[in-house]
Amino acid sequence: MGIFSIAPLLLVFPLIGVLFNGLVGRRFVEYNRETGEKWSGWFGSVMALSALAVAVALLFALAGHEFHAEIVVLFDWIHVGDFYVPWAMQIDTLSVTMMLVVTGVGSLIHIYAIGYMHGDPNFSRFFTYLNLFLFFMLILVTGNNYLMLFVGWEGVGLCSFLLIGFWFDRVNAKGEAMNANAARKAFVANRVGDLAMILAMSLTFWTFKSLEFAPVFDSAVEMFESGHMVQFGAFEATLGGVLTAITALFLMGAAGKSAQIPLYVWLPDAMAGPTPVSALIHAATMVTSGIYLIVRSNVLFEIVRESGTLLPGIGISSPDLVALTGAATAVFAGLIAFTQFDIKKVLAYSTVSQLGFMIAAVGMGAYVAGMFHLITHAFFKALLFLSSGSVIHGMEHGHHHISHGHHDDHDHFDPQDMRTMGGLRHKMRTTYIVYMIGSLALAGIVPLAGFWSKDEILAHASKNPGPIFFTVYIMLTVAAFCTAFYMGRQLKMVFFGKPRHAAAEHAEESSPLMTRPLMILAALAVFGGLLNFPFFSEAAYEAAHEAHDYGINLALEHWLEHSIPSFELTEEGIVHMPHTPTWIQFDVAAISTVLAVLALLAAVFLVYRNRWQTADERDPLQSTPIWWMAVLPFDTLYMKGIIPLFNRLADFLGYTIDWDLWHNFFHERVIRDTFVGFSNFASDVLDRQGVDGLVNGAGQVARWLSGGLRLSQTGYARTYALGILLGTVALLAYFLWPAIF
Amino acid sequence: MELTINWYIALSAILFSLGALGVLLRRNAIIVFMSIEMMLNAANLAFVAFARHLGDLDGQVLVFFVITVAAAEVAVGLALIVTIFRSKKSINIDEINLMKG
Repeated sequence: MGIFSIAPLLLVFPLIGVLFNGLVGRRFVEYNRETGEKWSGWFGSVMALSALAVAVALLFALAGHEFHAEIVVLFDWIHVGDFYVPWAMQIDTLSVTMMLVVTGVGSLIHIYAIGYMHGDPNFSRFFTYLNLFLFFMLILVTGNNYLMLFVGWEGVGLCSFLLIGFWFDRVNAKGEAMNANAARKAFVANRVGDLAMILAMSLTFWTFKSLEFAPVFDSAVEMFESGHMVQFGAFEATLGGVLTAITALFLMGAAGKSAQIPLYVWLPDAMAGPTPVSALIHAATMVTSGIYLIVRSNVLFEIVRESGTLLPGIGISSPDLVALTGAATAVFAGLIAFTQFDIKKVLAYSTVSQLGFMIAAVGMGAYVAGMFHLITHAFFKALLFLSSGSVIHGMEHGHHHISHGHHDDHDHFDPQDMRTMGGLRHKMRTTYIVYMIGSLALAGIVPLAGFWSKDEILAHASKNPGPIFFTVYIMLTVAAFCTAFYMGRQLKMVFFGKPRHAAAEHAEESSPLMTRPLMILAALAVFGGLLNFPFFSEAAYEAAHEAHDYGINLALEHWLEHSIPSFELTEEGIVHMPHTPTWIQFDVAAISTVLAVLALLAAVFLVYRNRWQTADERDPLQSTPIWWMAVLPFDTLYMKGIIPLFNRLADFLGYTIDWDLWHNFFHERVIRDTFVGFSNFASDVLDRQGVDGLVNGAGQVARWLSGGLRLSQTGYARTYALGILLGTVALLAYFLWPAIF
Repeated sequence: MELTINWYIALSAILFSLGALGVLLRRNAIIVFMSIEMMLNAANLAFVAFARHLGDLDGQVLVFFVITVAAAEVAVGLALIVTIFRSKKSINIDEINLMKG
């Protein structure tokens, strides 16, 4: 145990931050705006940094533990019959990687947010939510069972809802509460995925009688080796079939959380939240939960792939479906990004597209490549989002500057609209440089981080046989081209040319509190590729393999192989194999780099060469079919196709089934009327006529009898006297009768 | 003619019958009272006659009880009659029918 016993602190620090900012932070800010914001913001940031320190300590602890996974049980959570779920943290190389990304990028974003949220009336509430998000995200990545993962999964969903709707009282020109609507949309879209997660977990427990990762994976491998069928009461299913269902449901859960087709629609709207939120939750960490889920469950996916079970109706296996979903999302979202004018929406669709790359990677079995891209993407996409926040800040500043005295266009100005920007490279020097680095990293320009990670995915797709891999490779290459193109368009619109609005002319660089985290992230975006630096030739790899000294090359691969079991499943059983060696594929790398450069150049010097002189200029693509992507995508499909149907179904269920049939007919007619009828019978017939009749009848009879008898009571003494006399005579006659006769 | 027990019993019966008729037929409460006294004394006569005839004193003892009770009854009865007269200015028993049902 030893050093691992500090693991719970990872959760305790953010929780302290939540309690501090949630309970007293507001008092600090209200007492004194200036120092209160410092206290509130820095307290939250220090808690994030403390969690980062714990994560780093755990990194060294693992290194000193020969990278063996360590499970820290905090307490028993659920223990009912066979059903045992502990509250335990699994410290292995995979979870530590996620911890470092979450707390590392998270800390920088916390610090940035102190500057970004300056002056917001709900400053401390924002940091409460950020720390709460860290807390749940760390539960998600450290839990040693699916149920804890699900707790984190739901918790980050809640925080996402709270933070997207952070400015829930803002309304647009039409009076619609767009931020609150976006928050609800994210929440509802995620519910669909969450339902799949619940079903997947139920099925997992039913099949393997456990929800803890290690027992589930062990028994899955064991069952695969023995070839036993899975018993569901009277039914029987093959292991491959059951795992296909589980993994397909995992894909659906991941599609919700990681914004894949068809559930990606919430992520672009989620940009309504403050920009640090977009960077932290909707680019770097939360949206990667789906990738983490699949990487964590890699054993199940590999067994499905090996068992050759195909999804009914489609004819491909569930891991292939994962890969194709990711690749399709990558292309699809990449094309939509062409049509966006909102600086953050472009980045949002770019995020969806890049998440598609990661999902495609893990679907192909390139788990390390997926994780590698997850990490580098966290660096450069957080960088891009935070830089865009800096741009928005600058634009707001500029607008504030010019709108002194005349407020007439105040409501119509959108500081996020790229059409009003332009020429910002002179006004915001630092932001321009870091944005450039982030864009080039995202576009995959050598030697920045994005190049190495994207290339590893492309190499994996191209070097494996089969039509699925080939399709994925082509789609991802197209997506890579799209990425470079829309980033070129964005750079051109935001930073080059002339200012197209007075606000852009007066834009100013943001405070150092915001730009310094940007520089750190820029450095990470430049050097992130070193994490899993490939060998340059097969010979170099072989030589390193011989010498058992890989140097700095493939560090992530060797680090992660301790938690992503590298094995190959065969009919005879499990054969443990080393990971497929990755040395750079020059052909793949050359194609993708050339395409990226061409796309950038095409965007800047061809398509948008003379464009963007004025803010109301049309985009040249607006007259091409590509622009259909702006209206065609799933949002429209949902709004026009599914939601009316759903509303009609809800109307049917609500009005016809529930109200008319259930309430009016069943409750009112059947239950109520039967009951009222019986009550009336009991009251009128049984009680009034029966019981009351008996009682009243007895009274009537008594009254009738007494009416007759009272006639004998005349009140005259002589009557009674005569009675006595006659009585006496009668008695005498009775007694004397036998004596006389 | 010898004075046998039969004569006594006959006299007693006649007196009792006259008393009973008086009670039933007369309206003056005092007369009714006197008739009751006559019935009691008819009974007393029968007791005494049987006691002498049988040579047993039990009947005579009983007569004293009857006389005592009759005296008490007269006291109570006359008091009642006086009270009724005070309130109704009459002792006609046909006018006294408060007990009519």
